[in-house]
Amino acid sequence: MHIEKQAVRIGFNPLTDCASLVMAAVLGLDERHGIRIVLSRESSWAGVRDKLVTGELDAAHALLGMVYGTQLGIGAQRHDMAVLMNLNRNGQAITLSRRLMAQGAVDGPSLAALMQGERRSYVFAQTFPTGTHAMWLYYWLAAHGIDPLRDVRAITVPPSQMVYNLTEGHMDGFCAGEPWGQRAVMDGIGVTVATSQQIWPDHPEKALATSRAFADAHPNTCRALVAAVLEASRWIDASVENRRATAEILTGGGTVATDRAALLPRMLGQYDDGMGRQWQDAHPLCFHQDGAANYPYLSDGIWFMTQFRRWGLLKSHPDYEGTARAVTRLQLYREAAELAGVAVLPHSLRSATLLDGGTWDGADPERYALAFPIRQR
Amino acid sequence: MSRHLRIVLVHPPRESDASLRAAALQAGLTEAGYELVASLPADLHLPERIAQLQPDMIIVDAESDARDVLEHIVVATRDERRPIVMFTDDDKTSSMEAALEAGVSAYIVAGLQPERIKPVLNVALARFRKEQKLLHELADTKHKLAERKVIDRAKGVLMARHGISEDQAYQRLRTMAMNKNLKLAEVAQRLLDVEDLLG
Repeated sequence: MHIEKQAVRIGFNPLTDCASLVMAAVLGLDERHGIRIVLSRESSWAGVRDKLVTGELDAAHALLGMVYGTQLGIGAQRHDMAVLMNLNRNGQAITLSRRLMAQGAVDGPSLAALMQGERRSYVFAQTFPTGTHAMWLYYWLAAHGIDPLRDVRAITVPPSQMVYNLTEGHMDGFCAGEPWGQRAVMDGIGVTVATSQQIWPDHPEKALATSRAFADAHPNTCRALVAAVLEASRWIDASVENRRATAEILTGGGTVATDRAALLPRMLGQYDDGMGRQWQDAHPLCFHQDGAANYPYLSDGIWFMTQFRRWGLLKSHPDYEGTARAVTRLQLYREAAELAGVAVLPHSLRSATLLDGGTWDGADPERYALAFPIRQR
Repeated sequence: MSRHLRIVLVHPPRESDASLRAAALQAGLTEAGYELVASLPADLHLPERIAQLQPDMIIVDAESDARDVLEHIVVATRDERRPIVMFTDDDKTSSMEAALEAGVSAYIVAGLQPERIKPVLNVALARFRKEQKLLHELADTKHKLAERKVIDRAKGVLMARHGISEDQAYQRLRTMAMNKNLKLAEVAQRLLDVEDLLG
């Protein structure tokens, strides 16, 4: 098989969930499939998006929501994108400042009660306007009767600056990927009031994304890449030892700028909310789940579009299914999964019950988007 | 393009992080005679400050994580856009051209001669304005087409109901619009609404 491009330049943001891309390169799984992964550490999501558009990066660790935001032209110019596979599920968190905790806000209902009683401007940060964390944060607030567009000021802050800004008192809380939730707890700055898996158990998070043009011109390269990353995902999830080794590599080489003590516990599903509660999570950060975590469900992509519509980022309904089908490379994924010996699931839609009791099964996105009591009108 | 451009430069939030790139660009802009209205830290107050200052152009370090904060501004103010220019160490002209082609922004390579900064910024602004004009024209055309459809349908209703010619139907709509001081399309829409209601 002719590999169109052997050296594949892949961008990532320094977060725990970039692990499978890093490990695909470290374990040499890329070479097994005839490619070479060249990792490029990026400092912003918008930068990743721009570089995918210009071709400076071939593929990237990307927020699934951001890929759809780019496809639909929210913010930047519209550009055709491709999702090759999902990289992980779960493992993000909502953190509140200790100051807020001291005032009684220890979960969603108590935060809502506090905000009712003490009226002031509440500031919450997410990592990208069309990203996953913005949607988890908005969903969580709204599920507790807090309108994220009216009752709070939502701002964008890069993940690695969350703890600093919380320390300085610039904001009341944030939603971001790990290790930043754990770091805030360890530093005694914040408390974890919700994990993203409490909002949507086994939710999709990051995707392996590229531009449609790159996927069209390099199908064999893309297949090899997906196969290599699938093998890396399987390896990470295979044992606790492998997860430990992954944490070692992510923090040892300075890939993620924090120490192992901050990154490892939640990578192993061990949570400490900073308020005296410790638990082993039933839906921790997962990279593989026998392929379930990697399968790019169309309904996962459609969900983000329904939330963009819900919050007014889209003024009218997009062609939900058509867009998801155009973006998601299901056929390519199936072929790559076969190469890696990973089981492919028979359905492209899945069903889940979210935090507010709502069920999402991908069936009627228009109705779903407009059925929420709290939304942009 | 002779008007004075009011520019805001965005730098990393902590002064100690301010890169050499940013310092060089700032010097270049000043030398090139631009009105640098502010050099703002990319912190939580950035969206408010930009809303207050209303600059003609925003310049930001392409490699800075401030880009995401800026993205927030772009999304929040997407109905009143302004050009954003990135500067970078990457001198691959191909990626710059592609960025321009995509209409995302202009990329300025760090270390650009001060005398060359001005034309680059002017080109970026001209491109931006042209693009905005095209977008407005497109929206305008779409709107007009939609109006035409409504008027045509209303004419059809009148013709069928009163057995009159197309020209007579048009005259009726027009007289009604003039008497009520409404736009032709509005009168047509009202007529269709009533038609819907009464079946």
